[in-house]
Amino acid sequence: MHKVAKALEVRGLQKAYRLPNGRSAPAVRDFTLRVEPGEFVTLLGPSGCGKTTVLRTLAGLEEPDAGDILLDGRSIAALPAHRRRIGLVFQNYALFPHMTVFENVAYSFRIRRAPAAQVDTEVGAALKAVGLEELAARLPGQLSGGQQQRVALARAFVMQPDLLLFDEPLSNLDAKLRVQVRGELRRLQKRLGTTALYVTHDQDEAMSLSDRIAVMRDGRVEQIGTPEEIYLRPASLFVASFVGRVNALPGRVIRNANGRACVEMLDYRFEVASERCPAAEVLVLVRPEAIRMAEAGAQGVPGVRGVVEEIEYCGDQVEYRVRVGAELIVAVELALLRQQRFASGAQVTLRFIDEALHLLHT
Amino acid sequence: MAGVPAAGADVARLPLLGRGWTLAALYPVIVVLLALFVAYPLADLLSQAAKADGRFTLAPIATLLGDPSTRQVLWNTLLLGASVAAAGTILATLYAYAMTRVAMPWKGFFHFLALLPTISPPILMALSLILLYGRRGLVTHQLFGMQTTVLYGYWGLLAAQLLSYFPFAYLLMLNLFRGLDASLEEAAATMGAHSGKVLATVSLPLLAPGLAGSALLLFSYSFADLGNPLLLGGDYPVLSAQIYLSIIGMYNIPQGAALAVILLAPAALLFFAHKRLARNTAFASVGGRGSLRHPQTRQTAVRVAAFALCAAVSLVILLQYATVLAGATTQLFGINYTITPRHFIAALTNSRGALFDTIGLGVVAAAVAAVIGVLIAWFVARSRMPGRGAVDFVANLPLAIPGTVIGLAFGLAFNNRPLLLTGTAAIIVIAFSVRSLPYAIRSAVAALDQINRSLDEASTNMGATPGQTLRRVLIPLIRPAVLAGMIFTFTRSVTTLSAVIFVVSPHWSLVTPVILSQMDRGDVGEAAALSVILVILVLLVIHGTPRLLGRDWREARIG
Repeated sequence: MHKVAKALEVRGLQKAYRLPNGRSAPAVRDFTLRVEPGEFVTLLGPSGCGKTTVLRTLAGLEEPDAGDILLDGRSIAALPAHRRRIGLVFQNYALFPHMTVFENVAYSFRIRRAPAAQVDTEVGAALKAVGLEELAARLPGQLSGGQQQRVALARAFVMQPDLLLFDEPLSNLDAKLRVQVRGELRRLQKRLGTTALYVTHDQDEAMSLSDRIAVMRDGRVEQIGTPEEIYLRPASLFVASFVGRVNALPGRVIRNANGRACVEMLDYRFEVASERCPAAEVLVLVRPEAIRMAEAGAQGVPGVRGVVEEIEYCGDQVEYRVRVGAELIVAVELALLRQQRFASGAQVTLRFIDEALHLLHT
Repeated sequence: MAGVPAAGADVARLPLLGRGWTLAALYPVIVVLLALFVAYPLADLLSQAAKADGRFTLAPIATLLGDPSTRQVLWNTLLLGASVAAAGTILATLYAYAMTRVAMPWKGFFHFLALLPTISPPILMALSLILLYGRRGLVTHQLFGMQTTVLYGYWGLLAAQLLSYFPFAYLLMLNLFRGLDASLEEAAATMGAHSGKVLATVSLPLLAPGLAGSALLLFSYSFADLGNPLLLGGDYPVLSAQIYLSIIGMYNIPQGAALAVILLAPAALLFFAHKRLARNTAFASVGGRGSLRHPQTRQTAVRVAAFALCAAVSLVILLQYATVLAGATTQLFGINYTITPRHFIAALTNSRGALFDTIGLGVVAAAVAAVIGVLIAWFVARSRMPGRGAVDFVANLPLAIPGTVIGLAFGLAFNNRPLLLTGTAAIIVIAFSVRSLPYAIRSAVAALDQINRSLDEASTNMGATPGQTLRRVLIPLIRPAVLAGMIFTFTRSVTTLSAVIFVVSPHWSLVTPVILSQMDRGDVGEAAALSVILVILVLLVIHGTPRLLGRDWREARIG
């Protein structure tokens, strides 16, 4: 029987650090978030945006200057760290080097003097869930990075916490391992149904793991939404450029009538629904994959003329940098058996997939 | 389904045992202990020294300083201290350089001999110097037919203190040389600097704070030394001996106390000056890499010189110990060289009690200092208790204070009710512990600093109180450092004379004062035998204890 999952609510969290010279450096400003029971939400943002501070405050390792934290409507802000039922998976795993894998995972039970039989059952099940039952007697120093990470994971969820917190748990693993482990992590969380908050600066991780993503910047949430919303309808240039690559081109609304707006950018005109058009002067966000390239001479092809300046072959795709007037536009296409379709210096026409264009305030 | 914890096993509902207040409750206890046994004795000593007609006044001290003979004594003390500091630092640096940067044979032998004086009482050096170079010394009298007292005085003291204390400076410089980032010296070599140049332009400047530390260390030891000045002082009186004579010889307590304050002043000043200096010049001397593979010079001239230096020093030290051994095993050193077990038997018979008491109390004090030291280290390094800076300061004060002064302070402060401790074992243990506490704290703090705080946080996150984290996570990881600290403090305690001379009693006697009185009486053989027995016992404890305690106490597993 699963424990009933709890909803997390963070209201108006604020935290500033005191610098040695007496000034204070705000790390988290007015952070508000609601995570539904069983939901997996990622805090995504660059270094210094405050995401780790939020996590540590939730765990009780930092004291906020203001704000409240509620689990299922009950405030836990006054509870000391060791009384909160929150599991934290550390970036460096924080495994106890003098205890075996088994003892590490059993620690929360030992603290509470749980009966040995119960410990054996619980810890055994946890180790089995992460595939480490063979290594129970090993010491952390004898494990690989991936194995250590799994121990850290087992240690956190064996307590059946109300909330699971992950502080960039995969950043110390190599790329291939990261992809493999993150999948396991998500499956585990789904099976347990525990509410989870995940911190990372890696947008691939965020996109693949999350039910929702909260993009953070300078201590605040810039935008929160599903991965699709974040990617296809970013609320700001910061979000757009932090998650994936994007071309941001200046545009001007020429005509706006009958629910349709006509926008002009770089001598190219396209139409969008009026409600997707925020102002008269806009920034048009074009993802590289929303551009189709064709030879310049092709007739009747509406698009923008440009010259290929740089080409980057990535194996699965080719990235072109095309000079159009003052802009350098990035476009990608699938490589599909060849290194490049256009040579450097070639004249090309860029066609845009209108539905994928996203408009922002300038 | 695999992975789902069994039904009904809600860990979160299990009661959390052990409330967080247990550890916090120990804090005021520690504050009281420090106030009672560090702050109070010192304050009492100062009040005894600055008292006339029942009022607080600096007049007695001023009068003393006005007296030219006192000023001479003070000058002697400072001059001797400076000489030992300078000569000892140079010697220690060269020795450490030879051991870590020069390719030569027999390093193990040289290292062992250089460290031998650290486990024997300094008074042993005086003993063997007298046997060798005294009025009827083996070298001076028997070999050269002289009847000279050149040993007694400045030069004899200098030699005795150098031999006794340079090993500590050597250990310090050795660790510093080892900790230097090897790539800096390698870079200098690739740019054309030969080994001497590298030493002068790269290594020594980086080690400058260490050199200052070594000098300070030797100064402190020289100030604190009582045994050598009493036996070899001659016409060169120094403060520690004068304090002893004032109290024990003339029973002039105010004068003794005043002299103690006069000794305390330069010692404390030097200590705090060094502390300030060290804070401002923290170079990258202990680099993160701490490469073990420092370049070792193969230049012949350097190798020969280094070998000669180490051999000479080692032989001198070897001769010292061989002499003591000879004194202990021969009928009458200097006159009758028949081998006899007489002295050993006499020592074991007469001084059995002192030996047991010394070793036993030393062990107890080491344990007490370790426990309190770990607690203070935790409060200072891992908690946010108010006033922990002051606690740290007071607990470390004994570092700045010569042993004679501490011993005197204890002897005077606990001579009255309600704390009548003189004549008990308690006062000896407390004196030992108080002197050992700074070292216990330092080794514990250093070990704690190596443990990533995420371990503390993980433990807390899983429901452990600070006390449980300390017990289950931190202490197991710092055990080897704690043991090293305990061994060091044990050795210091059982070999000191100055700190205990004022607190021993008929009920509780310690070995070093017994050796001193035997030397005074002329029972050289028995004094030598007793010294040898003490050294052997110390070696047994040092090497036996880690073995007895097991692997967990020997290996660091910080991970």
